[in-house]
Amino acid sequence: METAHVDRAVISVWRWQGVLTTLIPAIWAFGLVIRFGVPGLFAPLLIVAVGLTLSWVWPEAYYRRLRFGIDASGIAIERGIFWRSRITVPRVRIQHTDVSQGPLQRRFGVGTLKLYTAGSRYTKIELPGLAHAEALALRDALLAESGDSGV
Amino acid sequence: MASEAGAADFQPALRLHRSSWLFALTGSVRQLVLPLIAILVFGARRDDEWFGTPFVLTIFVGAMLIRALWHQWTYRYGFGPRGLVIREGVIFRNVRQIEYSRIENIDTERGPLHRLMRVAQVRVQTSTGGKPEALISVLDLGAVQEMRQRVFADTRPIAEESKPSREPQLLHLPPMELVRYGLINNRGMILVAAGAGFLQQAGFFRVNREVIDQWLHTSALTGVAGLGMAMQIVLAVLVVISALIAVRILSVVLALITLHDFTLTRHDGDLRARYGLLTRIALTLRTRRIQAVHQSESLLHRLFGRVSLDVDLAGDSGGEGEQRNSKRMKTRWLAPVCPTAAAPALIASALPVFDPAAPPDWQPLAPGARSRIFRRGALLSLLIVAGPSWWYLRGEAVFSFPIVIALAGMHAHLYVKYTRWALERDVLLFQSGWLTRRLTIVPRDRVQSLNVSESPFDRRRHMASLSVDIAGGSAMSAGVHIRYLPADVARRLAAALHATVKG
Repeated sequence: METAHVDRAVISVWRWQGVLTTLIPAIWAFGLVIRFGVPGLFAPLLIVAVGLTLSWVWPEAYYRRLRFGIDASGIAIERGIFWRSRITVPRVRIQHTDVSQGPLQRRFGVGTLKLYTAGSRYTKIELPGLAHAEALALRDALLAESGDSGV
Repeated sequence: MASEAGAADFQPALRLHRSSWLFALTGSVRQLVLPLIAILVFGARRDDEWFGTPFVLTIFVGAMLIRALWHQWTYRYGFGPRGLVIREGVIFRNVRQIEYSRIENIDTERGPLHRLMRVAQVRVQTSTGGKPEALISVLDLGAVQEMRQRVFADTRPIAEESKPSREPQLLHLPPMELVRYGLINNRGMILVAAGAGFLQQAGFFRVNREVIDQWLHTSALTGVAGLGMAMQIVLAVLVVISALIAVRILSVVLALITLHDFTLTRHDGDLRARYGLLTRIALTLRTRRIQAVHQSESLLHRLFGRVSLDVDLAGDSGGEGEQRNSKRMKTRWLAPVCPTAAAPALIASALPVFDPAAPPDWQPLAPGARSRIFRRGALLSLLIVAGPSWWYLRGEAVFSFPIVIALAGMHAHLYVKYTRWALERDVLLFQSGWLTRRLTIVPRDRVQSLNVSESPFDRRRHMASLSVDIAGGSAMSAGVHIRYLPADVARRLAAALHATVKG
């Protein structure tokens, strides 16, 4: 099965998400510093430094490892930097699909494709970072042929 | 479109049995009984509260009676052109349509009262599981029979409950087998735990110190105090042993009641299980809904030369929260207990694609698996044991390490020895566990999704785990999860399984 990367724009989405997630503990830590005085200034600065570095490095690395492939038999998704996994779902097993978009994702024109199976452990399988139009096209392509009950 | 309009216009006209209110009422009263006892026995300290209770009780029961009657009068069901139609309520009306082709099962459950009135509680199940199924309480047996006929008219011949003798019997458990089952599975323990939990909730263990003090000063106990250390230990051991025996006896009694006269029959390719002394349960296990068969064999099983077989059914997993839990509590038995030699034939009856005659082509784990499991086990248990043993033994703690390492070695050896898998033409077999041995058989065309995962440790040793997900299990135990496979084997196995799923 040929695999491809998702849209590069998703890196920006993840970086912004990283920055926003860093802000929450950082603001809290700065608040504590203001309340109790300067000696503890090191902690919030460390949070900001680590948070921003991770926000910069992690999305790029995760993007490199995230690949997906679709053929007549179904879909395959590879992901993970340290803990790697390759999930394959036969086409007839896809119960229904969603394409979802948050505000940040809308800004960068990407969407998340969600596949639902009748399984027990992996009932929802997500593929983030597809260009929105491509996600919609994939959803339609995956649904076109599966008329079976899926069980 | 005419039939569509017809389906929309269809008005269900059939009613529940005229004694339905009785069952609705007993059901809600039963839900109230335990809290009520708790209130009456443990809560009513002051007399004025005690006198108020009968009034509250009457109002409660009256309200329930009205609700039960209302339910009976407003509930309608009918056989529409496309599906079973159920209408509930008048003010807040809810009409549910369940397509005939989606209905997988019509199960009945009959308690002593049901049997006395010749009625049954009916559960209509679809493959989705969870919400869209209907619980119809209660119908008389003729109506159940008619429902079975109408619903399954196009999918399979009529189910005749009245003539079970014509169905080939696959398994029947005489009382002796049930005694074995009770001894093996020890369900009494759960009951004891639940009872203890309830008493705890009711404040039973908070009881006053005076009673205990009094009891401690009784002549019997002073006699015990005079016995001396050795005798006291012997006595304590005897008490513990007799408690364990009592729990086992309770388990046996439970097994004799709940699984009384367990009969598994074949019925037009599907399986039907009937059991229960007080509450008689009739379950249909439709073979095309069976997703996997599990065989488990604990130490006690092996002692008796028995195994247990249960199945995962599509539609059992869905649902949320409590509903999901209560569903999982009920294991779908193929055979609560059966002789080891009889198991393959029973599995084949549930999974027609499984060939019991052909010996599986068993494959081992990766060659490096044993040393990895050993190192992992030894390291983890040393970490756990180190603290406490240093605390108690100080310098002598060193001597506990060889024991831990030996145990880890034994575990690794047995783990590898008793874990194996086989990919047959139509099924995937996976055997695991050395203390309780489990065998899972999944038909290849039942696979929902596959996941090959590699942790950093896996990658260093070129290994991978394979998860084969199927419908109908619980999230924790579903399907097959094989660890320590050679990475290339895991990928090839996943690809092979992926290719077989055609739908």
